[in-house]
Amino acid sequence: MDLRAYVLRRLALTTLVLFGVLVVTFLLSHVIPADPIGAILGPQAPPELVEKLRREWGLDKPLHEQFIDYVCRAVRGDLGRSIRTNRPVLQDLLEFFPATLELATASLMLGVLVGVPLGTISALRRGSWIDHAARVFVTLGVSTPVFWLGLIMLMIFYYRLGWLPGPGRLDPYMTPPPRVTGLILLDSLLAGRLDAFYSALRHLAMPAAVLGWYAAAGIARITRSSVLEVMRREHVRTARAKGLLERIVVLRHILRNALMPIVTVIGTTYGGLLEGAVLTETIFAWPGLGRYSTGAFLYLDFMAVMGTTLFIAVIYSLVNLAVDLIYAYLDPRVRYG
Amino acid sequence: MAGRGKDAAIVALAVLLAASWAYFLTRPTAQAPELLTDPDVLIIGMDISDAVSLDPARAYELTSCLVVNQLYDKLVDFEPPDYSEPVPEVAESWEVLDDGVTWIFHIRKGIMFTDGTPLTAEAVAFSLKRVLKLQQAPSWVLTQFGITEDSIEVVDNYTVKIRLGRKVAPRIFLSCLAFTVGAIVNPNEVKAHEKEGDLASEWMTDHSAGSGPFILEKWERESEIVLVANENYWKGKPRLKKIIIRHVPEPTDQLLLLEKGDIDIAWSLTPDQIEEVRDKVGIKVVSVPAYEKVYLGMNVGFKPFSDERVREAIRWAIDYDAILRLLKGGAMKLQTFIEKGIPGYNPDAPYYRDVEKARKLLAEAGYPEGFEVELMAPPTFPYRDIAAIVKQNLEEVGIRVRIRLVTAAEMYEKYRKQGHQLILARWGADYPDPDALAKPFADYRVKQLAWRNMWYDDYAADLVEKAAVEMDWSKRLKMYHELTEYVLHKGPYVILYQVVRQVALRTWVENFYPDPSFFLLDLSRVYKERVYGYGGA
Repeated sequence: MDLRAYVLRRLALTTLVLFGVLVVTFLLSHVIPADPIGAILGPQAPPELVEKLRREWGLDKPLHEQFIDYVCRAVRGDLGRSIRTNRPVLQDLLEFFPATLELATASLMLGVLVGVPLGTISALRRGSWIDHAARVFVTLGVSTPVFWLGLIMLMIFYYRLGWLPGPGRLDPYMTPPPRVTGLILLDSLLAGRLDAFYSALRHLAMPAAVLGWYAAAGIARITRSSVLEVMRREHVRTARAKGLLERIVVLRHILRNALMPIVTVIGTTYGGLLEGAVLTETIFAWPGLGRYSTGAFLYLDFMAVMGTTLFIAVIYSLVNLAVDLIYAYLDPRVRYG
Repeated sequence: MAGRGKDAAIVALAVLLAASWAYFLTRPTAQAPELLTDPDVLIIGMDISDAVSLDPARAYELTSCLVVNQLYDKLVDFEPPDYSEPVPEVAESWEVLDDGVTWIFHIRKGIMFTDGTPLTAEAVAFSLKRVLKLQQAPSWVLTQFGITEDSIEVVDNYTVKIRLGRKVAPRIFLSCLAFTVGAIVNPNEVKAHEKEGDLASEWMTDHSAGSGPFILEKWERESEIVLVANENYWKGKPRLKKIIIRHVPEPTDQLLLLEKGDIDIAWSLTPDQIEEVRDKVGIKVVSVPAYEKVYLGMNVGFKPFSDERVREAIRWAIDYDAILRLLKGGAMKLQTFIEKGIPGYNPDAPYYRDVEKARKLLAEAGYPEGFEVELMAPPTFPYRDIAAIVKQNLEEVGIRVRIRLVTAAEMYEKYRKQGHQLILARWGADYPDPDALAKPFADYRVKQLAWRNMWYDDYAADLVEKAAVEMDWSKRLKMYHELTEYVLHKGPYVILYQVVRQVALRTWVENFYPDPSFFLLDLSRVYKERVYGYGGA
């Protein structure tokens, strides 16, 4: 089977996975005894109004009818209308996802740029002060509550030192660049607005650092153990015995062979980041998918819950597919079919 | 190596000294003071994620109504700082005929919508009929009077006649007209943007079509809402040129931004944070008793609560002062169901924590060993903390409490189905008239709180209905006094406190009056002083 056939087969299987996700999410959301219409309208809405809106939103229909309606519309790209925002769910997702994509990508880049070298050096200098310092970094990264870390960073870098701006994506007095992709950094460059680019970059720094630390910690940990495992192999000893420069031994013979698990953890980390980080988004007033989906779940906004779950499932599937393709590139022994 | 190390140290020291000299030499010896804040732009930090639509016919959430009130005018309004009586706005005068059923409103001449179209009786009738046609969440505020499209009539260019379906005390109807659902929209804009018969509701979700002091410039969800001044506002151009309502959901962020001067108003600081900033230089705190209270609801259908003595015992068991201390300045004592600030307010607060009395009443009711009860409460502050206080208080009199913290979706599902035993909830008045509270708390026939708590009391329900049609104001007030006393001692509630809205703002903001409701905030007269300083707030 060639690569194209492999990709098509994977996409077809993904459709089955998505269907399964839909069924489970639908059933779970309807099993909980909750009233999204009542919650969204508030306690003071008259009961006849609640009933009227419940009928308008089709929530009085039998479960199987609601599910079939939903699936038939979803395959046509219609993810329904959010009870909370009263807008098409797809419109909401496309509005909020770019902010999450920007933050997730920046965080992952930081995570990789810090985590991979740190993990590598930590393994190469095992037992040294660098190794100990790296392990402290990793432990702090995975155990420090994100919420607390975000607030501390705001206190220090924004409030006390004034080096970075406060919460938000852009200076409130600044006119934002025209929205093309929703990624402010990219849209600023496309519009030739270096002032907006600079402001957006400065606003991105802290939330990306918070999530990047968490990402770097996980990546560094796996990198360290993977590099240590590869370092024990015969071919590394042979490479050194041949008199190769240490830099070549590390990059070509150790790291290259240690990359598979590292790529896996990068993939799962990216998938997790793309889901949206509700606490970081709350602290930094970042209008991303995390807060949107959390609100949907808390209010049992069924359409938004289903649409968000489907969306995130698609993202995860694409990230997993990308990881698998990278495996094939890294390891010629990996063949599809 | 020692020599090279010493050389390196000397070089480093020299560089440091040179850099320090350069810094001090080039630093300007005298700095001109600069404006610390833009005096034309007001920035408010608050959580705007609850906003669904800025169409007055749909707006029913705090943020939506707050914004809508800046964009539109209504027939009547309540004005700061004294919100006690409705004042003329678009209607410069009115008459009530036929014993409280027919209303004639005389529309003020000279009001223009933002596109220059004059606001006439046609626009008033159009706006109210639009609400009836769309039948969205806030429409009940008007339809409860039995108004139909046919009962709204344009008499002439500046006169509208509205015939209600039933007689009501005049102040009730006027109070409801002051709610944002009574906003007057521009018929031309509606017709120009109508899509598939939606009366432009989709377009008006994030566009304005009013005559109010501000115009909606943009709404970026979960980010900001920007309003710009209406230069031709009939009451006079606002002193602010722009208002930016920034989405800052986390109170700690609001606090930091306020202290740095990056926002002018922090909407939702916690009581602890308010105490922290109260005496800080450059910051002031303004407060107002809100039309909002927190209460315990006792389901009379739950056997122990069917006995009045048990309900009374619970009222004597609660430590009200402990709850007030928890909330610091964010709460005030209230035990009757009409809040301070709304006519009919009854300051009577006879209950305090008396464990012995509570135990005695429980024993008389046949529960000397107490009983078990489930308390449902929201999971957020202050409710979870209040629930803990209530649990502790009730356990001291022998009532064993199981706390269940639930989300709003689950809570209202159960509450609306009368499925709770004891519930901790809040309630705010939809319009500033005692009827807005009497109906839900005392009249089970409207299927609100009294019904949810299975308190089917005909005496209370009859009194509510009688007061709602009483045309004599002082007689009406007497009825509400009687009603509040009756519910205080016999009802299925323990009113714990009235919310005090506390807002922290920079001292350069003037003429800001916090709104006791959620739809009466008026920012048209707010202004900022020009404040000069060096290097930041």
